[in-house]
Amino acid sequence: MYLTPVSPIGFAVRKSRKRMLRGSMQGEGKFAGARLWVALFWLLPMLTLPARAQAASAQLNITLSVQSSITLVFNNNPSVGTPGFCPLSNAGTSNVGLDLGSAAFPGNTNVTCGNYTHLTASFYQVSSAFDVLVTKSNSSSPSYRLEAQISSAPPQGVIWLIDNITLSNTAFSPLNTASNYGQPLTKTLQVQVRNNVPAQILQETITFLATAN
Amino acid sequence: MKNYTATIRKALLAAMVLCSSDVFAQVTATGTINATLTNKNGIALVFESDPVGVTLGAPLTSAATLNFGTISAFGPLASGVTRPSVTAANFTVRTVFDVQVIQGGLTSTTYTLRANLASALPAGFSFKIDGITLVNGPSNIQTNAAYNVNVPHNLDLTVLTAASGAGGPAVNTPLTTVINFQASAN
Repeated sequence: MYLTPVSPIGFAVRKSRKRMLRGSMQGEGKFAGARLWVALFWLLPMLTLPARAQAASAQLNITLSVQSSITLVFNNNPSVGTPGFCPLSNAGTSNVGLDLGSAAFPGNTNVTCGNYTHLTASFYQVSSAFDVLVTKSNSSSPSYRLEAQISSAPPQGVIWLIDNITLSNTAFSPLNTASNYGQPLTKTLQVQVRNNVPAQILQETITFLATAN
Repeated sequence: MKNYTATIRKALLAAMVLCSSDVFAQVTATGTINATLTNKNGIALVFESDPVGVTLGAPLTSAATLNFGTISAFGPLASGVTRPSVTAANFTVRTVFDVQVIQGGLTSTTYTLRANLASALPAGFSFKIDGITLVNGPSNIQTNAAYNVNVPHNLDLTVLTAASGAGGPAVNTPLTTVINFQASAN
């Protein structure tokens, strides 16, 4: 709501005119002109005031602190669906699933996506590759190192590996020392099983750790 | 002696005359107070914490504080802060705060809310309120807001992901900025 400067002045002038007319009728015409000038004199300062809106002001003081951060997600390799590239469930996140299917020492009859091989006379291996993507933000770090660890000790005769590096449940195993951010890094999970391992479900949660250099 | 008696009688008579009702009339006084009150119109703006936003400091005042806490593209955020988007170039964190404008003596039924940055932002930051990018000059945030109710507003802070010195913001350094608000009666 803006105050129009014309309104109060017009009101005052009209009031002065009324007084002047009334004064003329009452024989005071000689004072009426003077009253009008007096009124205008008092209204003069009002003319110099700007028309001002009814407004309220306030301030919101914002504080924050930015921190460097990196993130790691698992993605399906572009070759997903072909032998050796099993699809990840919940791909594109940092918590995915990887089902290698079923395998047996005599053959790969139930391995649908993993790569089945006989390593030696007593070991077979099923492997599948996937991509690791590490992204940085607000960091001058030029590269990152990647490590991995399995969650529990595997049964006797079972070995879990990433790119031929054996994983342990007691410490992280270094996989890469200086990988580039923002570029997919293809890693291959291998499970090696001796022929005397009893039939069972072999399961591990593998934790990948990316650390900024 | 005879003369004294006559004199005393005259004196008593005179005293009786003087002690008439006028002499013992009650003394009173009256007065009037010409009281006036100028009821002016007015308008005020206060900030209030929104249930889904961060808790403001000095709520229900016109000089509140809002702390995003430590923010990052991928790390944890403070309660009441969300991260609507993360891209290769930037990430956005969001919180919600309420504005309440009260007025008296006006025929106005709605108000216009404007906001501006009090000073230039540090490198790598930009603020939006309800999708309106804030600059140093006033920007209309809402043109027909209702009085006397908490109106929630999204405060988005977009931060470049570049490293400090490469266009991105300083890290691990407390940063402060002030946003001015103005509510004008329509």
